[in-house]
Amino acid sequence: MLEVKKVTKQFSSGSGDVTAVKDISLQIPAGKFASIIGKSGSGKSTLLSLLGALDKPTSGSIEVDGQDITRLGDRALNTYRGKQIGFVFQSYNLVPNLTALENVMLPLEFTRVARRERVGRAKSLLDQVGITGDKQQRKPSRLSGGEQQRVAIARALANQPKVILADEPTGNLDSQTGKMIFDLLHSLARSQNTTIVAVTHDLSIAGKTDMTFTLSDGKLVKQ
Amino acid sequence: MNSLTRGIRNTFRNSIRTVSIVLILGLSIGLSLSMLVARQAVENKISTVKSTIGTSITVSPAGARGFDGGGEPLTQADLDKAKSVAHVTSVSGTLQDRLSSDNTNLQSAIDPGTLGRRFGRSNSGFGAGGQAPNGGTFKLPVMLIGTDDPASAQVLSGSSVKLTSGTLYAAGSSDKVAVIGKELATKNNLSVGSTFTAYASTITVVGIYDAGNTFSNGTVVMPLKTVQTLSSQANAITSAIIKVDSIDTIDGAVNNLKTQLGSKADVVSQKDTATQALAPLQNIKNVSLFSLIGAMVAGAIIILLTMVMIVRERRREIGVLKAIGASNVKIMWQFMAEAVSFTVIGAVLGIAIGLAGGKPITNMLVTNSSNASSAVSQTAGPGQGPVTAQAGGGGLFRRAASNLNLKDVHAVISWHLLLYGFAAAVLIALVGSAVPSLLIAKIRPAEVMRTE
Ligand SMILES: Nc1ncnc2c1ncn2[C@@H]1O[C@H](COP(=O)(O)OP(=O)(O)OP(=O)(O)O)[C@@H](O)[C@H]1O
Ligand SMILES: [Mg+2]
Repeated sequence: MLEVKKVTKQFSSGSGDVTAVKDISLQIPAGKFASIIGKSGSGKSTLLSLLGALDKPTSGSIEVDGQDITRLGDRALNTYRGKQIGFVFQSYNLVPNLTALENVMLPLEFTRVARRERVGRAKSLLDQVGITGDKQQRKPSRLSGGEQQRVAIARALANQPKVILADEPTGNLDSQTGKMIFDLLHSLARSQNTTIVAVTHDLSIAGKTDMTFTLSDGKLVKQ
Repeated sequence: MNSLTRGIRNTFRNSIRTVSIVLILGLSIGLSLSMLVARQAVENKISTVKSTIGTSITVSPAGARGFDGGGEPLTQADLDKAKSVAHVTSVSGTLQDRLSSDNTNLQSAIDPGTLGRRFGRSNSGFGAGGQAPNGGTFKLPVMLIGTDDPASAQVLSGSSVKLTSGTLYAAGSSDKVAVIGKELATKNNLSVGSTFTAYASTITVVGIYDAGNTFSNGTVVMPLKTVQTLSSQANAITSAIIKVDSIDTIDGAVNNLKTQLGSKADVVSQKDTATQALAPLQNIKNVSLFSLIGAMVAGAIIILLTMVMIVRERRREIGVLKAIGASNVKIMWQFMAEAVSFTVIGAVLGIAIGLAGGKPITNMLVTNSSNASSAVSQTAGPGQGPVTAQAGGGGLFRRAASNLNLKDVHAVISWHLLLYGFAAAVLIALVGSAVPSLLIAKIRPAEVMRTE
């Protein structure tokens, strides 16, 4: 269960304060697929980064299975990001000079999975997302956008997180590839009872998710 | 894979950058090492010079230098007084005399030439052995030194004294024996065991030496007592070389000697000669220190700027690592490993440069200052005429100073030095990557959410 309570996020910049997220409260039950839609600048990415503990809200609390993640210390934050959350980004964000396999092994290293286990687990994850054979040894620059996003999904799943946060995961892909990626996320989440929160522009995709939140000017306008 | 191997791999991420940074770092480390080598070599030379001529005091009878001037000779009793002065470690008295055709059968090995004839003309009193100065058959007398320290380079005004055959006589001996210079031996067909006549006595040659210069190699060295007895100058001393324990105590010792010996002796410390002669070397020492510091600071700044540049370039990647659970410390280690890896490759190149460049750079620094250096050693010491200078007490030192050959600095690159340089390089890398590490800590993980 993901529970957002009266969360506000303000950025102070030179030209004054920007309130990116205004007093948002919402709940997403475990294992559900939620989508967030809204115009550019409405605060979708900001909300996602708060859920993933990449940033702290100015006020309000975010509880994951009853634990308030806004109060975690540095060490606990690293563990939370590494073990409970998996991120998928619009621009894939793979480490360019590491192979696909090494990219998937990264989160396993950070959560101190034994060295011997890492390779096996990373390989089977890549197999699951359809990156097989010599493609596992390629660097991101030698993979297509769709393939890179599959590697990113495998990396997000590496530590069997409770929640996957995806910021426009299909934004850089053609609609057919985008649909395949979405289906992949959906089926993997379902099989492992993982909660997914995905930001999207694609209303046809949003329509197929369990619940949809609409943001406008930082406020939650529709659920 | 871990932070360390990732960091090392990242070193080669951008080959053009890697090559240029390694080159610059290599040059700066190589220059640092060369400067370290030069500094150490010069330092060794300085301490050698200080401990040889820098601790010497010459004492001569007041008003006399060798065969110039006049006055009364010093005596054995004066030497005993000198010996009792604090910090004095040794006293070596010499009695110099000249052997000419009326008291020896030896022929001088030195051709009088223009200088010798000039000398003979201006010192009519010494004409005893020679003939008319312009007569054409004028011969130089043979220099005789009575000393108990026959192996001393300073007594013989040579850079080093090598016995080419035979042995030396013992200190305190009063035998009728002599050690002679190799050129004198050749001129007179003498070898070990041969004899010659001096003061109407038969003297046996026990050794032949090579002191490295023509003047000294034409000299006869005999026990002090023997010379005093044979030349009827019992107890007489014409000059003494006094050694003190260190250059720091020499001024006090000079003052005490002056008080002890009173007005009958001239006491001259060689400290100023040494200090003056060493000034160019001291300059090189300073220059090399500044260059060393400069090269090291430059190296540190290069690695610092490089790491700042790399961290800024990889902001997003650092954000990604944080977002997937990496701690700040872990990411810092990765970047430090990268910085150290750059520096280690630079250091390998730098050591190669240092090995190749240490000696030439040292020589270049020393040679460039050699004009100044030789000018100093030529004016150093009590001024004397060209021939008597070498015979006189002060002149001995003057020659000694120039014979030390200040250009002859040996650059030695030891393992110790290399390790030291290597450790310094790694330290530079760690310092150079410390600031970028702080930048890493400041990068917000939410950075990754921003689309490019
Ligand atoms: N670090 C920041 N500093 C200052 N303002 C920020 C920062 N991050 C976001 N904002 C502002 O907050 C608002 C919401 O931004 P956010 O990136 O969450 O929008 P978004 O809904 O994800 O838009 P898009 O669909 O274009 O990605 C914007 O006005 C943005 O300018
Ligand atoms: Mg966004």
